[in-house]
Order: sequence, then C-alpha cells, then structure tokens
Amino acid sequence: MDVLPFLVTQCLNALSQAALLFFLGCGLTLIFGIMRIVNFAHGAFFMLGAYVGWSAVHWTGNFWVALVAAPILVGGFGAAFELGILRRLYGRDGHAFLMVTFGLTLVMGEAIRLLWGVEALQVQMPVSLSDIVFILDEPFPIYRLFLAGSGVVVAIVIWQFLERTRLGLLIRATSQNAEMVHALGTDVRLVRSAVFGIGCGLAGIGGVFAAPMVTASLGMAPNAVIDTFVIVIIGGMGSFLGSMIGALLVAFVQVFGSYFFPDFAMAFMYLIMLTILVVRPGGLLGKEA
Amino acid sequence: MRMTLAVAVLLALLPLGLPPYAMTLLTEALIMGLFAMSLDLMVGYARLISFGHAAAYGLGAYTCGNILLHTDIPLPLAVPMAGVFSGFIGIGIAWVCTQATGVSFSMLTLALAQLLYAVAFKWTSVTGASDGLAGIPRRPGPFGTTYFSTKIGFYYLTMACLFGSFLFARALVRSPFGAVLRGIRENEAKTLSLGYNTRLYKIAVVAASYILGGLAGALYAPFAGFANTELLFWLLSGQVLIMVIVGGTGTLVGPILGAAFFLLVQQQLSTYTDSWALFFGVIFIAFVLFAPEGILGLARRRRSVRSH
Repeated sequence: MDVLPFLVTQCLNALSQAALLFFLGCGLTLIFGIMRIVNFAHGAFFMLGAYVGWSAVHWTGNFWVALVAAPILVGGFGAAFELGILRRLYGRDGHAFLMVTFGLTLVMGEAIRLLWGVEALQVQMPVSLSDIVFILDEPFPIYRLFLAGSGVVVAIVIWQFLERTRLGLLIRATSQNAEMVHALGTDVRLVRSAVFGIGCGLAGIGGVFAAPMVTASLGMAPNAVIDTFVIVIIGGMGSFLGSMIGALLVAFVQVFGSYFFPDFAMAFMYLIMLTILVVRPGGLLGKEA
Repeated sequence: MRMTLAVAVLLALLPLGLPPYAMTLLTEALIMGLFAMSLDLMVGYARLISFGHAAAYGLGAYTCGNILLHTDIPLPLAVPMAGVFSGFIGIGIAWVCTQATGVSFSMLTLALAQLLYAVAFKWTSVTGASDGLAGIPRRPGPFGTTYFSTKIGFYYLTMACLFGSFLFARALVRSPFGAVLRGIRENEAKTLSLGYNTRLYKIAVVAASYILGGLAGALYAPFAGFANTELLFWLLSGQVLIMVIVGGTGTLVGPILGAAFFLLVQQQLSTYTDSWALFFGVIFIAFVLFAPEGILGLARRRRSVRSH
C-alpha cells in the first residue's frame, strides 16, 4: 500500500471519528459552560440516542427519521430531567450534579436493558450511504465520509446558532451573568432547561450516527462518557472550540495509535491528556483548572 | 471508644449464632464497609470526590491474588502487602489527578481507573484478562495454622482488618494532619495561604485511602476465590460512592453502615427483580436531593432536634 492513499484514508477515518466525539464533547462542554454542571449521564444519553435510533429505523425503515426523532426525544428527556430534578440542586456544589447524573446513568442503563434487552442491536445503514468509494484507489465507506461531513455541518450550525440567534445570545449572556439576564426579564430557568436539552440532544445525534457502525449496546455509555471527559479535559471545560480541538486530537490518536500500536492506543490518549494537564491544568483553551 | 468496643464484641460474638450463609453475607458486608470507609477518607475529609475508587480495590485484589497463587506467603501477610502496594500506585494516581481540582479531579479519577481496567484486560499473564484469576487459595499460615482459611477464621481476619483500619483512619482524621484536610475541604485557597502544601496533603490522603481500599480488595480475592476485571469497573466505583453518600460522608462509620445497607437491599431486591440497579439509582438520586448528609446525618439531625 502506498503511503499517500494510506494517510488520506486514515485521516478521513480519524475525521469521522472526531465528528462522533465532537457531538459528545460539545454537548457536555455547552452544558458545563452555561450551567457549571458536569453531566455524568452524557454517555447514557448517547446510548439512548442509539437505541431510539434503532427503534425508529426498525419501525419506519428510514434512517433519516431516526436522525430527526432521536435528538428530539433524547433532548426532550434531558430537558425534562433538568426541570424535574436538576433544578432543585442549583446553589449546591458541582459534585451534587455529578452524583445525581451518575444515579441517572444507572437508572437509564437499567431502563434501556428492560426496554430493549441485552442483545446488541444492529442498525441498518441507509442504502444510499452503505456503499464504498475509491479514494486514490483505496476503498473507503461512504458512511464515514457522510459522518465527517455531518460533524462539520453540525459544528457550523451550533456556532452560528450561538452567534446569530436570539436564543444563542441569551445562552451566551447566561453563561456570563445569569442574574443580570434574569433581571432583564428573561426566564433564565428556561434557558437552562433548553441548554441541557440541546446538550443531551447532541449526544443523542451522536448515538444515532454511531449505531450503524458499532451497533447499539449496553457498553456504549461508559466508553462514551470517558472519551468525552478526556476531550473536555484536553480542550478546556466550557470551551466550544476546545471541545473541537480535543475531539480531533483524541480521534487522530485513537485511529493512528490503534493502527501502529494496537495495545497502547489507550495509553497514548491518556499520555496526551496528562501532558496537557501538566502544562496547562485548565486544558488547552480553558480559563481555570 | 466504648461504642467501638461494644460493636467489636457484638461482631465477634455473631459467628456463634449465625447460620453459614449469613456469615458469608456479613463477611462481605465488612469487606465492603472497609472499602467504603477508605473512600470516605478522601470524600468526607478532603472533598476529593473520586469516581475511580475501584482502582484501589482491583489493585488490592489482583496483587493479593497473585501473591497467594504464585508464592508461599501466608494469607494474613499477603493481605497487608497488597494494601501497601495499592497505596504506592495510589501515590502515582494522586499525583496525576491532583493536577486538577474540583469536578475535573473526579473526571480524572474515573479516566485513570478505566485505564487500569483496560490494562487488566490486556495484561493476561498477570490478570488472566477476561477470565480473571480463578482458584485463589486461602494459603495457611503463619506457623502452619489453617485457622484463617476457615469460614469463621476468615471472618475474624476481616473484622481485624476493618477495626484496625477504622482506628487508624480515626486517628488520622483527629490528628493535625486531619485538621489540615478539613481545612482543604472547607477552603483550599485559605489553607494554601497558611503555608500548607495542600497538594502534598491531598496525595497523602489518597495514598492512605488506597492502602485501606487495597486492603479491602485484598480480602475480597481470597474471600471469593477469584479476581476479575469487574473489580476495576467504573460501576463498582459508583456503587462505593453511593455507599459513602448514603451512609453519610465525613463520619467513617456512616459509609460502613451504607455498605451494609447497600448489600442488604441488593440481597433483598435481587430475589424479586434483576433490576436492582434501577432502584439504587433512584434511591441514590433521592439521597443526594433530600438527604445529602446520609443515613447517619439524618439520625443525628433527628436526635439534635429532639434534644432541643
């Protein structure tokens, strides 16, 4: 195999992986940036997205329906959880949220097991994306290209949403001075519910995207939440751009690491995280430790 | 002190009247209690909330398992050796995790514990990979005594470990060292400005916590006769944190009660349903929401209300 085609296809692989990680990381960091909440259940929302996606494909036979339905349902569930439970905890220190969302992880994992069973569920890829293309004479799955492209599109949409829309403005304002926003007549509590819902919805999209490649299974949640934590620790908690950089870095290390040193790919990821922590304790773009 | 002695006497007398299956459950409760108490040193006294305490347990279990399988060292020596080894690794883990503070610390502890979990899956010669270590013996000795390999003897060994650790932990938190820890818990910046190297104190308490947690894991390996990757899994880290919070942080005794409560409820629920994790999640959320001070805190609050 030639070097150039190999590099190109591996880079594309890494980009598609980065897109998945970005869906996870940016949701977590968005929630943290606005609400100072670390959502332990983020991996569970990701998993829920995959299972809801499976059901949607199962019933309608249409992957695109799943791609719309899963984030709405998962996001809605997240917003409801914020309304019902998390809201009671404002004013407590950050660990209370971490613990409550851990409890939620247990509940969701068990509920999903009861509803969908223990078997891993294969989600059918849409026919239009299940082919391969030849890039510099190397075969490459179209689905991964589509995934990488979707990552870019979602990143631009979120960025424009935060910069250009009224809700985006309110979200940014809330992250800087929630009391002032409240005093100016906006119900900050609603903004918070919305942000939590959006963050969880992003994890849900990630789950749907991941499902055709890795199947929907009960082991998804812990792996996802740990990758996500590593990403935001690298990028800096609460930084949107940081989560993008973190996702890219982790994805490239995972893809190239597992190709060249399959036994040490994980260790590389941690080594990078460690180095960054020692040099910049708050992460690459974070403000504080 | 009188209370401790009374409980010790009661626990020492229990084997006389309990059927064997209850003894097994009780031994497991004491092991879990030791594990939960070790985490309380970090959580309750220095506000270092670890989501990766299974690392200590798994390290202890695998170390003890290997010692018992591959050497002639007797059981009562192997257990503390494994605890000390776990403490050494704990220093390294603490050095990494204390680079960050607050919630980031928690996330790092989880990440490192999962790294150990991944290593355990690959390092077949030491951990047996996904099969785990099976047939871990309760090697007799010292001086050829086979007492500790019996059910009751092992129970007393566990009890001795728990009480020894409890007295050690209590002495630790009542010492000037413990006062500095509480200073870190209440206001780290202030403690730092008083001239204490807070990071060093944090690493020390994590090491102590890992020694005791490793001790618990080291007891579990010969108790169950096996050690597998479950003992390093994040679910166990979460469960032990639940025991600490539900029992009452910063009390040492509370987490032991929390562990007993956890095992008892698990035992009862699992006869009715497979989904006990669901109920635990709900119970845990309820405790964090409505009774963050835990069972022991609730009891104390009630008592102080009555006395006013």
